[in-house]
Amino acid sequence: MKVTYIHHYPYRHLPEDFASRYEESVVTNPYFELVDPKLVHEDLRSALDEAMYAARAGFDAVALTEHGQSSYDMNPNPDLGAAALAYATELEGIETGIYTVGRSLGKSREPLRVAEEQAWLDCLSGGRLISGFPVGLAYDANVNAGVPPIETRARYDENFEFILRAWTEREPFPFNGHYSQYPSVNIWPRPVQQPHPPVSVTGTGNPNTTRFALQRDLGFNLVVLGAAAPNTAQRIFDDMWRMADELDLDDNPYRAAFAQSVVVGETDADAERLYAKHVEYSMSRGVGHIPMHRLALPGGISPQGLRVLLGQAMSAPTGGQPALTYRNLVESGAVIAGSPATVRERLADQAHSFRIGHLLANLQIGSMPTELTQHNIDLFSTQVLPHLRGIWSDYDGDNRWWPERLGGRPVSTKQADLTGARLT
Amino acid sequence: MTTTSPNQPATGEKVIATWNNRIRLRFVIRGSGPALVYLHPAGGLFWDDFLARLTEHYTVYAPVFPGTSPDDTFAIHELDDIFDVVLAYEQALRSLGLENVPVVGQSFGGMLAAELSACFPKLFTKVVLLDPAGLWNEQHPWSLDFISAPPEQLPGLLFKDPTAEGPRSMFPQPSGPEEALDQAVAGIWTFGCMAKFLWPVPDRGLRKRLHRVTAPTLIMWGEDDRLIPVAYADEFGRLIPHSRVEVVPDCGHIPQIEHTDHTYATVTDFLAEH
Repeated sequence: MKVTYIHHYPYRHLPEDFASRYEESVVTNPYFELVDPKLVHEDLRSALDEAMYAARAGFDAVALTEHGQSSYDMNPNPDLGAAALAYATELEGIETGIYTVGRSLGKSREPLRVAEEQAWLDCLSGGRLISGFPVGLAYDANVNAGVPPIETRARYDENFEFILRAWTEREPFPFNGHYSQYPSVNIWPRPVQQPHPPVSVTGTGNPNTTRFALQRDLGFNLVVLGAAAPNTAQRIFDDMWRMADELDLDDNPYRAAFAQSVVVGETDADAERLYAKHVEYSMSRGVGHIPMHRLALPGGISPQGLRVLLGQAMSAPTGGQPALTYRNLVESGAVIAGSPATVRERLADQAHSFRIGHLLANLQIGSMPTELTQHNIDLFSTQVLPHLRGIWSDYDGDNRWWPERLGGRPVSTKQADLTGARLT
Repeated sequence: MTTTSPNQPATGEKVIATWNNRIRLRFVIRGSGPALVYLHPAGGLFWDDFLARLTEHYTVYAPVFPGTSPDDTFAIHELDDIFDVVLAYEQALRSLGLENVPVVGQSFGGMLAAELSACFPKLFTKVVLLDPAGLWNEQHPWSLDFISAPPEQLPGLLFKDPTAEGPRSMFPQPSGPEEALDQAVAGIWTFGCMAKFLWPVPDRGLRKRLHRVTAPTLIMWGEDDRLIPVAYADEFGRLIPHSRVEVVPDCGHIPQIEHTDHTYATVTDFLAEH
């Protein structure tokens, strides 16, 4: 199993009454009213410090997301932080992956820049880049970037095709796209990894995205939120593996990744004492405080996909979701928390039941300060991580979703096949 | 399909191939008398009492926006921008012989009526714009937030008095979970289709083109419109040469539903003027 350290870049000092005073942690939350610029500096610095701390602690990769106009993740472009981490890990000679989980292609209006930045990162890191191209959440792609929701996926398809060509074509070429046109595409540099860095796509449950990942042989990351997350994730992974079987594809667990919040204490009670308030901060002032219409907008999901998603929502038991308290989240497994023994047992169970070869462990949550995050990283890397590494070892020789330099294999030709499946 | 009933003299549908056969534009056709084109709002075609009354004197041709018919949802991907829509509609109207006829457009349909009239000044004899979209400035900002508003908030956004009979008739209760799902999927996708030509700021440069509208134009606007501020009524009036503005007091975004009698009388009087 490969274990990646992933985190947001949150503003960690929002007031306690944030949820009652402000509707959301994105788009409209007023910056100047809420922020001390010195603390923003501190928080960004801390986030990079923590990622380096994790890299030194032996994680297989460090990952970055992308969320614009947000207080829970002040990260408008993951390539910025990735550049800093690529250089710093080079300096220290740390053999870890640089994983830009989120470089949204439904959002991007400049695919040439995405291709260039990512190729640049791959060169600077000496072939340690893992490229994640998510569609993008509605508030980010459609509100922040102003893309009409109904164009998000078509734009993704075009940008995706363009980037693969820009990376791989030997000669300069003109590109006459729907959304962008370039008279001569000849990016410098091209990626180190050949034919190109491994690519993954993030999904949240739309079956079209899962199918697209399988058909293109891309890595599939799943992100789900809320107290019901583990059940939802189980259903989506079950669907994914059934789909893989129907498509006559292998069941290599390295196809799949899951983002999981994890907090480790000396004991279960110690974990609650240390982390409860920070987890609850994230729920009331961070990712847990994003209204539904910021996550999905009309047109973003096809009628077929809508039917599946709404059908599931409408047939769900009524009575509302349980409150997003630490205890509820831990009880349901949405947050995996406790002593090292508790945590490693739960994560191992999850790896098997989901059949995931990649774990994206989110170890900095909400308002957690740096010292506490480092404590979490220490306990995880010394007492949990070593126990996860051996899971799926039979497949270690066939991880084509990981850089060769770090033990992976080159991506399959299906990924680079320009006539391959599309998301629209 | 053609049926008749005492209240609806003729009911029919015609599907017209347009846009080089990439779009099959479905027209709902009802009524008898001279032809009139009705362009529906972003929520889709709803056959309200105003339209029913128009069919007593006119044959109403109401094209259903591409992509919003449940059996042809991907048609929306054949239209990239408002000019594609204008050209596809103009061709379809022409092939039905619908030239030199009046047009009534509501909200998004009003914007489309204005665009068609600006691009093809001889297409329509008279133009009626009911709370049309298409203009936007920072003094009177308005947004498309209504397309993602919780369903229970929509009546309050659309109407001054959402509890009145007309407004309530627009939101029929589904008969069961299957119909509720159908309604939800269709409603969300319809908004998504129309938003393609309004998002993120509902201004595609119509302001620059309105001077080209030569047909006499009636602009009606609900004084208490919570979607598109009534301030734009005068601006449309200023930009369209032969136009007049009629503001409807105590009325939200859809005068034809909230003040049917008054809207019907004003529109039909205007259409009857020489």
